[in-house]
Amino acid sequence: MTQIVAALLVIAVGISQGQLQRPGVEAHISRGVQLMQDQLFEAASGEFEQALALNPEDPRARLQFAVCLLSLGRNDEARRQFEQVRKLAGESRYVTYYLGRLDLLSNDYASAIRRLGSVAEDPPFPDTVFYLGVAYISSGDVAEGTKWLERAAQLLPRDYRVHYRLARAYSSAGREQKASREYDLYSQLRDEHKNTEKDVRACSSALRTEPLATAREVCHRIYDPNDPEKLTLLGQLFGDAGAFAEALEPLRQAVQLDPNSFEAWHNLGVSYFRLQRYGEARAPLEKAAALRPEFYGSVVLLGATLYMLGEDDAALPVLEHAHRLNPNDTETTAVLEKLRAGRKKE
Amino acid sequence: MHRQRGLFKFTQHTGLEDHHYARMTRREFLAIFAAGATSSITQTQQLGGMASRGVRPQPRGKPSGLPFHAHFTDVAYHAGLRAPVVYGPPDRMDYIIESMGCGVAFLDYDNDGWLDIFLLSGTRREGPVEGATNRLYKNNRDGTFTDVTTKAGLVRQGWACGVSVGDYNNDGFEDLFITGWPQNILYRNNGDGTFTDVTEVAGLLHPGKRWGTGCTWVDYDRDGRLDLFVSNYLDFDFDKIPPTGKDPNCNFKGVPVNCGPRGLFPERPMLYHNDGDGTFTDVTARSGVGAAAPEFGLAVVAADLDGDGWQDIYVACDSTPSLLFHNRGDGTFSEQGLQSGLAVNEDGNEQAGMGIAIGDFDTDGRLDALKTHFAEDTVALYRNIGHLVFDDVTLRSGLGVETRYVGWGDGIVDLDNDGLPDLFWVTGSTFPEVQRKHPEYAHKTPRVLFRNLGGSRFEELLNAAGEAIAEAHSSRGVAFGDFDNDGDLDILIMNMNEPPSLLRNDVRGGGHWLKVKLVGTRSNTSAIGAVVTAMYGGRRQAQAVLASSGYLSCGDRRLHFGLGTATTADLEIAWPSGVHESVKGLRANQLVTVKEGVGVVGRERFGL
Repeated sequence: MTQIVAALLVIAVGISQGQLQRPGVEAHISRGVQLMQDQLFEAASGEFEQALALNPEDPRARLQFAVCLLSLGRNDEARRQFEQVRKLAGESRYVTYYLGRLDLLSNDYASAIRRLGSVAEDPPFPDTVFYLGVAYISSGDVAEGTKWLERAAQLLPRDYRVHYRLARAYSSAGREQKASREYDLYSQLRDEHKNTEKDVRACSSALRTEPLATAREVCHRIYDPNDPEKLTLLGQLFGDAGAFAEALEPLRQAVQLDPNSFEAWHNLGVSYFRLQRYGEARAPLEKAAALRPEFYGSVVLLGATLYMLGEDDAALPVLEHAHRLNPNDTETTAVLEKLRAGRKKE
Repeated sequence: MHRQRGLFKFTQHTGLEDHHYARMTRREFLAIFAAGATSSITQTQQLGGMASRGVRPQPRGKPSGLPFHAHFTDVAYHAGLRAPVVYGPPDRMDYIIESMGCGVAFLDYDNDGWLDIFLLSGTRREGPVEGATNRLYKNNRDGTFTDVTTKAGLVRQGWACGVSVGDYNNDGFEDLFITGWPQNILYRNNGDGTFTDVTEVAGLLHPGKRWGTGCTWVDYDRDGRLDLFVSNYLDFDFDKIPPTGKDPNCNFKGVPVNCGPRGLFPERPMLYHNDGDGTFTDVTARSGVGAAAPEFGLAVVAADLDGDGWQDIYVACDSTPSLLFHNRGDGTFSEQGLQSGLAVNEDGNEQAGMGIAIGDFDTDGRLDALKTHFAEDTVALYRNIGHLVFDDVTLRSGLGVETRYVGWGDGIVDLDNDGLPDLFWVTGSTFPEVQRKHPEYAHKTPRVLFRNLGGSRFEELLNAAGEAIAEAHSSRGVAFGDFDNDGDLDILIMNMNEPPSLLRNDVRGGGHWLKVKLVGTRSNTSAIGAVVTAMYGGRRQAQAVLASSGYLSCGDRRLHFGLGTATTADLEIAWPSGVHESVKGLRANQLVTVKEGVGVVGRERFGL
């Protein structure tokens, strides 16, 4: 879901370009996004409602609100909000995607197929064709469903759901050999997850209780030079334990493998920052802030980094943006005042 | 220096240290940590407890407005079922064994045509609890029961879990097999109102300590004698497993709770062959049952799920893929859970399998399955589409609206005699400690009833079936049967550290019914494993004679078919021996007894 949140922010920024916001709207959206990140959807929906109270025409807040409602299982309300977004911002394949998924949830397979099918060639999210395949299968069209699930397996090769559904589809069509291959893939991916779960538990425990040298050995089991998610996870575990120097290498590898991973960039920036290597922190944080411009944590850290580097002119607008995202942060306010006062003196 | 101080203060007060490490986002890793909360919280959930998948309920549709003709009243107290079922401490559960509870059974141990009641019991770690024992209640045929435990020789206190009822020695009287920790027990029915513990003589005393949970009698090799399948949950010992609060990984929603099953060691199930001389032989390895990966096995149901005449065995596993042992007809089984679709849900996610019900909810003549799970997840309703392939139709059937409770014993049973089997399950939390911090995770929760609307759609009835459905308890086992012989299905429920519930069903609305009792001759006398298909009013409903159902429990062996407006029904009977018989034109509202190879040997009209 948070991956979708990240994408939504980019979309929302696109939708809102050129629109002036009343004071406070951005702060509510930012807080809502943070709460969604933490999967606190009830609280997040409250923030978006407050944003919408200030500006009911803001499509970003309405879109986030709709996704929140969908996450809360309030599907009818979510549908109404998505329709509103469409009225405010025009046709959007993202909105079409969500409406298609809502159709699927309400067992309206024909509508789900129509909507998801209309965006399948240029899918807003990689799982679009997966849901399209599921809609076809659920409607009884196993052949067409299989076709889309096969496409989904190409787009999401490590998604066990896809392989399981595909195996079932092959099986029901009597294609046992292909089914068997997909079941094997599914089982392999599930086993990997289970092993990773065990390794994460062991690593987390070792970082808590053992010397770093011992913990490093235990945590190395998670290391996979070809898997950016495992690398990011490893970096995150080290970072959460305060072992920032250890976090650097896996995170550096992760951003190389997946340059669009907000988490990897952000955590890499944080690690450099905490190691006081501000010059090296700048680029990852810039990348993170570009990927998630409304994520307060990245923006404020980027401002702080620029400030530490003495680039006050560059720091000022970034911190001003951070302040808009979180006006209650007195420390940001204080730094901003300091920077503005310095400018006046000059 | 000035900037250093500024930075320190800046980062300290913005709390960056606490939250700036962004959460993982990819679904795959969210799956590792489970959904429903932030990654760091869900991580510990996964490490310490049962699988809570964070599934949110689907929205409820508009009520159908159709009347529901079943009405339930808890008559346990009036019926004399007043002794509480002791199972661990009432307000906390320091060990997983204290949270799992036990089963119940309806049986006719004295063959008088009236259902008696057998209740299992637990104990407490600190020592024996006065009055806590498994209990046998004899039906007085007037709505009340008499406790005959002592007279029957069944007084026993321990960690009993599951019960299966069946006539393993074909002497015409139902025997009892009970699972538990650290040993299982076989009671032979002496036919005079008493039972004898023959576990050791029968060769069923196992070395060491095991935690037997689900169990079922099953004639897997069609030799006319009931064999025995036992699922084992996990390697448990009070001395080996840390109690609540001792392992930081064992918490739920941030509250320390008992450890397991994740993080503990799962066990394999076992199969014992009935040698026909009162003894059993462990054939776990020889039969292929032992080849399956160890899982956290709980409920077990044996039935011929693919209609090939051989009994298959389905095991609900907790937080690991459930197992389906397909009977190959040569004395061996192959595990086909994944291929059948019964191991996981439709997205390939394993669920916390607790109870299993078998029945034909869509009246297409095939046996379907319902499996209950942990809270924040749906149950799984599997539609049998033939050739041992099942479709997960949970969401399509409207069951996704209910995700609030931990589900246990369940049934696919026609409660209102409208000819369409309904769905029922009992609920109750495993962590009483949690509700103190999170009142929304109550320890005692209501029963769940979904009425069958036809067309494979269900509607949850929150208040339309009597107060007894909405009453909150922490329940585990459930058995269905007509204890008052009035032509409907009543419900017996185990409640943790409370007396059981006996929900008397008073059906109005005039729906007809037919009860079928089978007596095996070439098959085992209990006819366990037989499948009866009733044709009525254009429907074709299959039911199996089961020795275990729901959660570690056993129901009325007399099959109950609601017929709706139909006044007659035809029957097709597939006996476990392989013999097929038909009975045509049976009038509604009677109990018919059919003897294998003979036909109808008894008719009894009651409930009118």
